[in-house]
Amino acid sequence: MSQASPLHRISLDTWAVLLALAAALLVRFGVLKTVPW
Amino acid sequence: MASSAIRTTAAGAAAEVKAPVSAAGLIPGIALLAVVGYAGKFIEHFIAAYGKAHHLVLPNIEYVLWAILIGLAISNTVGVPAIFRSGVATYEFWLKAGIVLLGARFLLGDVRRLGGVSLVLIAIELALALTFMTYLGRGFKLKPKLVTLLAVGSSICGVSAIIAAQGAIDADEEDSSYAIAAILLLGAISLFLFPLIGHALHLSDQAYGLWTGLAVDNTAEATAAGALYSDAAGKVAVLAKTCRNATIGFVVLGYAIYWASKGQAAEVENKGAFLWRKFPKFVLGFLVISLLATVGFFSKTQLAAVGNLSRWAFLLTFAGVGLRTNLRELSKQGARPFLVGAVGEIVIALITLGLVFGADHFYHL
Repeated sequence: MSQASPLHRISLDTWAVLLALAAALLVRFGVLKTVPW
Repeated sequence: MASSAIRTTAAGAAAEVKAPVSAAGLIPGIALLAVVGYAGKFIEHFIAAYGKAHHLVLPNIEYVLWAILIGLAISNTVGVPAIFRSGVATYEFWLKAGIVLLGARFLLGDVRRLGGVSLVLIAIELALALTFMTYLGRGFKLKPKLVTLLAVGSSICGVSAIIAAQGAIDADEEDSSYAIAAILLLGAISLFLFPLIGHALHLSDQAYGLWTGLAVDNTAEATAAGALYSDAAGKVAVLAKTCRNATIGFVVLGYAIYWASKGQAAEVENKGAFLWRKFPKFVLGFLVISLLATVGFFSKTQLAAVGNLSRWAFLLTFAGVGLRTNLRELSKQGARPFLVGAVGEIVIALITLGLVFGADHFYHL
């Protein structure tokens, strides 16, 4: 039986949080300057 | 037969995300979500521009409704081809990311005030809804574990709660398929009914948002039903629904202990670890972003940008709500679970409406 890698052990829920936090940080540090709607 | 068909559509979202799919395999479906969502946005702008150019007063129908309708039209006519399905199932992922980012539009004080009111109402709603659904299910002679799944699904948070409870109480897959199908079908109906009722009762944005967050089961449908009313109502609906989601671990733990005491489920050995496993992590993400917004970590322009990122994430979600709903297959479920779910939903909607009116009177929402 193969063992799941650490990345696969992170739940989808947690990935969504990490992605959202990363996107917010990109905005905060000026990488994403404007996000049109 | 019917249950396997339901499983394909209803539990499909969860199953497909869990199945090992390469990142490249998700791209077509995510692209379809973006196209359908953006088409909704385009139609909203097109109608507004057309009305302006021709001096016509046309109804302002939000992109939310267009995106859901286009998705529904595709899934209920030509169907969603297999190549798109795993990517379409990521709509729940975008929903959670969107909720975390929405935290930027709340100051922690608002979260405490509205969240506090929500939690009080949720405690009352949970107690009444779980009791009512249990007696109703028994009255209709449904299998006891199916009753538990329907009670959890209609009182807390739809599909996620049913999936969380299914493993914890060792329920049959067929039972959870019935419960999920009933909750999804009722969610699709409430998506269109709630805004109509809200307008008929002249509910304020806050009161309507709170009601939607308390009464609509699935987080995606609650978010969409709130956004269909107004932007402000959508915000409040997400906050109230997020508070409701936060209770999932406690209720599922309660049922797991109950069924284990009857020798029909495995014992819960580490209750703390169980609670953490079932706790929706996006609630924490939402609080972190809200805290950062409150302490001035973001400038005003940056807050607007983060808020817009949240809107884009929700746009993908709303497209997914329509694309994953196949009404014909959902309606193939047994009539009794649906009837129990429907009666339960109506009663829960009335109870929560009463609670919201009460809260409005005392807290001036």
